[in-house]
Amino acid sequence: MREVYVAGIGITSFSRLEYPLVEIAAYPALMALRDAGIKKVDQVYVANMGSGRINGQTGLASAVVDHLSLTPAAAETIENGPASGASAIKQGYMAIASGMYNTVMVIGAERMREVNPLEATDFVATLTHPLAEYIYGITLPSLAGMFARMYMDKYGVTSRHLAMVAVKNHKNALDNFYAHLHEDITIEGILDSPEASTNNPFVADPLRFYDVCPVSDGGACIILTTAENMKKLNKPMIKLAGIGQATDTHCVHERNDPTDLLAVREAARQSFAMAKIKPENVDVAELHDAFTILEIAESEEVGFFKKGEGHKALEKGLTKIGGKLPINPSGGLKAKGHPVGATGVGQAHEIVLQLRGGAAKRQVKNAKIGFTCNFGGFGNNVVCLTFIKEN
Amino acid sequence: MELNIYAYKCKRCGQLHYPYKTICKKCGDNDHNEFDIVALPKNGKLLTYTILYNPPSDFEVAALCLGIVELEGGMRITGQLDIKNPKTGMKVAGKVEVVRIDGYNKHLGMVFYQE
Ligand SMILES: [Zn+2]
Repeated sequence: MREVYVAGIGITSFSRLEYPLVEIAAYPALMALRDAGIKKVDQVYVANMGSGRINGQTGLASAVVDHLSLTPAAAETIENGPASGASAIKQGYMAIASGMYNTVMVIGAERMREVNPLEATDFVATLTHPLAEYIYGITLPSLAGMFARMYMDKYGVTSRHLAMVAVKNHKNALDNFYAHLHEDITIEGILDSPEASTNNPFVADPLRFYDVCPVSDGGACIILTTAENMKKLNKPMIKLAGIGQATDTHCVHERNDPTDLLAVREAARQSFAMAKIKPENVDVAELHDAFTILEIAESEEVGFFKKGEGHKALEKGLTKIGGKLPINPSGGLKAKGHPVGATGVGQAHEIVLQLRGGAAKRQVKNAKIGFTCNFGGFGNNVVCLTFIKEN
Repeated sequence: MELNIYAYKCKRCGQLHYPYKTICKKCGDNDHNEFDIVALPKNGKLLTYTILYNPPSDFEVAALCLGIVELEGGMRITGQLDIKNPKTGMKVAGKVEVVRIDGYNKHLGMVFYQE
């Protein structure tokens, strides 16, 4: 198999965007083409979850490839729930590694704010089991609430730990121009003060407002190419070195231990094995913190910390920028935002930026190995990527 | 007639499934892929729960209590809770009732009460 490198990246703000979905896909693509210094690609993948249902538009990739005047390049839309983005990057990798194509553009784009937040949440809830979960009113926040309660009871994680994740990621997002939320929150303000219960009401008990990511529009793009093409481009050699993917039961209640995220564990293991590194070699990571509890749980399942000790690492500040292993320097889904189908591409964008040394105030020093965990469903389809900077 | 929620029991190895599958998760038997339906027990203990504020618009309530129950015999089910002060580990008893109405469709599911 051929090795695959990142030639260019681009991103939009993750927030409420008042322009059509096709443009949300096109702007980061334009940035990535300029960044790579190229004008043509062989294939376009567009990761998206909701265009058919939310925006009333199907065949998104065909529309995007034409909008970018990249025809007759091949084009496909990739839908894999909230893991669509990393799934599309995986497809891009396979297309190049196999020798079928030389340059592939992977876009993630979502426009969820075209509907109200309740409708957006209900749309994402259609990921859950139609007969055994969805009919009851189960949503992703409900599953996260039930998961959090078990996790907190079992491992001694408290609301304070959850709030610490939110405070850290909101702080990181202050230095990210493209982040959805630029709001400097404090433990005092969201947990301890008399106003905390108003500022930070329960959403899915025990999870509160600041434990849950916002509903975002947004797009991101990453262009992949061969080692040979990279020689012509004069860009930093960032290699897509490892990919892992695993699935788990559709219903959370069917898992032997519902506090285990086995798909995260397996996807990360595969990704590290393929990249021939260990979790302790990672310098910077973007984890899928759609809910604060998930950053803690995933940091354990991927192997950064022992099971049940992620919250202790958080307490010690190990996951802050400047700590031993900064997690979510972009602000994460929590504060950078979560345009579902685009999120995995957004995570990869941040890691590439970090490995290139271009993350400005939120730069993780000397980052050479970066990792992303893109979590689909409630952990029933997870894709993990490892990027390595070569000298 | 008492309403039930059914599990699917593999005719070859006896493995129970809820919800149903086409191929048994234990023996992977795809020659027969046959199942007997078996009513799930209704009593059990509450494994975890959440109170969901602002539930989906089909539910005209301010908050919805949802949980996972471990039923007698060990099978688990997700359901609604009609319980004032739910507590993890408490004993609950279920009834099959209408749990969601969307348009003209009434969906039946398990609602748990404090035992
Ligand atoms: Zn069987």
